[in-house]
Amino acid sequence: MSKLWVFLGMAAVTYSTRVTMIVLLGRELPPLVQRWLRYMPAAVLSALIAPAALMAQGRLEWDRQILAFAVGAAVAWRTRNVLATIVAGMAAFYLMGALGL
Amino acid sequence: MSAFRRGMVSTLPLAPGVIAFGLLYGMMARQVGFQPSEALAMSAVVHAGSAQFVALEMWDTASAATIILTTWVVNLRHLLMGASIAPHLGALPARWKALLALWMSDESYALAITAYEAGHGSAGYFLGANLGVALIWWLSGWAGALLGAAVPDPTRFGLDLVFPLAFLGLLMSFLKDRLHVAVALLAGLLALACAQLLPGKWYVIVAGLVASAAGVCLEELQQR
Repeated sequence: MSKLWVFLGMAAVTYSTRVTMIVLLGRELPPLVQRWLRYMPAAVLSALIAPAALMAQGRLEWDRQILAFAVGAAVAWRTRNVLATIVAGMAAFYLMGALGL
Repeated sequence: MSAFRRGMVSTLPLAPGVIAFGLLYGMMARQVGFQPSEALAMSAVVHAGSAQFVALEMWDTASAATIILTTWVVNLRHLLMGASIAPHLGALPARWKALLALWMSDESYALAITAYEAGHGSAGYFLGANLGVALIWWLSGWAGALLGAAVPDPTRFGLDLVFPLAFLGLLMSFLKDRLHVAVALLAGLLALACAQLLPGKWYVIVAGLVASAAGVCLEELQQR
């Protein structure tokens, strides 16, 4: 039973982070803030990607997935297609694994 | 196809990654002593993948308050996601916004904001993407708990690369001009630096806020 209380507590704080801005920012915002927000998706996505690509073991070091991301980035740049990016990156990752890199 | 269904279908390329992590989550939950029903309940009630993993890791050693506080910190990045998607939801009734916030995940946010910026986003699409990811997450976590220890390690198979690769594909549509490229590069560098210095997922928040603010500064400099 106590598990459910912890779940509910976790759910409450999680929901608060999701709903606050979405409901509060419904109105017209100052132009400067609007411009700031325009850059955020690119910044947030990039901030999610970089450590996952380059710090697989929690620190900066060579790993074959770095090359997989380089291939993925090239395909993403050319095609702008999510599925093609995933397939190319994963294929590169497996290929390098098969080659023992 | 309705916008809702398009939103759900858009999550399919991400399904293998979500399923792998759902299975691993369920398996870990089992090891911490959760029943499959409890693993499912946590997913359905909390619905925050990385926070759930962190909570499981801490389950035996940390207090309930610590687990909840850590969950909050891990999910603070959703403030930024909410802030950046809010302008697109301006005209919706508050009830709709509250519903869209409920199941927003990193993945469905990325799909929805990309659709909005490309001009074909809508509340239906956003809701479909949210629910698509949510259903896969809930069911695969439950399945993982039922399967117990029979699930391989997704990092060994590189399945943990699926999300960042998907984000990479989505990122490209935001690189509209040189300033956006500069912001993305700066955010990546900052995230790398912060990930070594800060605990948890704080690096997403710091890098997201600072790099996007730097974008506005660069814009000002360019106009002068």
